[in-house]
Amino acid sequence: MGIVLDKFPVVAKAVPGGQVLLTSTDYIVDLGRKYSVWPLTFGLACCAIEMMVAYAGRFDFDRFGVIPRPSPRQADLLLIAGTVTKKMAAPIVEIYHQMPEPRFVIAMGSCASCGGPYYDSYSVVKGVDRIVPVDVYVPGCPPRPEALIYGFMELQKKIMGMKLERGGGATAQAEKGSRDLTGEAA
Amino acid sequence: MKPDPVARLLAALPRAESAASPVKDYPTLRLAAPADILAAARILKDELGFAYLEMVTAVDWLGPVSLAGFVSSANPSPFTKKAPPPPVAPAAGAGIAYRPVLDMLWSFGNLQTGQKVFLRLEVPRDNAEVPSLTSLFAAADWQEREAFDLLGVRFSGHPNLTKILTPDFLKGHPLRKDYAHEKDAYDED
Ligand code: SF4
Repeated sequence: MGIVLDKFPVVAKAVPGGQVLLTSTDYIVDLGRKYSVWPLTFGLACCAIEMMVAYAGRFDFDRFGVIPRPSPRQADLLLIAGTVTKKMAAPIVEIYHQMPEPRFVIAMGSCASCGGPYYDSYSVVKGVDRIVPVDVYVPGCPPRPEALIYGFMELQKKIMGMKLERGGGATAQAEKGSRDLTGEAA
Repeated sequence: MKPDPVARLLAALPRAESAASPVKDYPTLRLAAPADILAAARILKDELGFAYLEMVTAVDWLGPVSLAGFVSSANPSPFTKKAPPPPVAPAAGAGIAYRPVLDMLWSFGNLQTGQKVFLRLEVPRDNAEVPSLTSLFAAADWQEREAFDLLGVRFSGHPNLTKILTPDFLKGHPLRKDYAHEKDAYDED
């Protein structure tokens, strides 16, 4: 429902009795999504330490509306911070499917992006994009909290490009690799 | 007064040697037979106050590492393509005697006196079997499962000797030198 406009929000001032805000449904829905991305509390290895720092006082991830949730059923974002072992792969897929749509995934660190220092290992999945679709990759070993925040802001940009006419943001799970939330590449 | 664990253990187990291949400068005792470990652990725990089992592990002394244990090539870096692959293990000689044994290592701590004692025991690689310490130390349970999972040592008398770290589909014991990796669903195509 709603009037779909291509323009960004406009405030029409000269209306008797107050101001009127005209906006597009896409814009207002995406705005809400963008500033209330609740991540699942989920750390796998050393990268999780940097993720915790990003939540803590100095960097204060809360400013972005990032409030960690203890349950996947209340979370929008799966922040894979650390090494994904083959033993952990099946639980991660299960957690991913327990999250409500639209759900986003950030692969934090070299390990989650491509296997990192454990590329030759018998026990490590070479990138979490082999099991769940990833929206943003944050390189580094470990990435500094600033890098994670930058990656999160890139995700916010992607969210702003999502359109309701493409199904409310629910995208089919990509077989492998990254996912195009906005459909612009297609 | 701190007890002297090595003298007490040597009195009870005359076939053991002390100071053969010590761990750093800690008192280290090399046992002669698998059956001795239970007796030694009982003396350490009940008489000498070494009530803390810190670690159960082993070293595989079979020759250099087999490259079959690596998932991809030995030298995947594009920057060092022309150079020969680095040696994965030093050659035999110069103090390294490769032999088909697993060198078991137990570490006991005494929290009152701050002492540590290490026990070593060589067992043949094939059919490696030692008595379990789970009857004395509850902490031995997971430590022994880990040694079983990664090195294939069987602990007789362990109540639940199953894999603990590696996924169920992984075959073999990855820390053995001749471990060959079988490709699974998560590996490179
Ligand atoms: S990328 Fe580096 S810091 Fe992050 S989990 Fe892997 S090894 Fe640890």
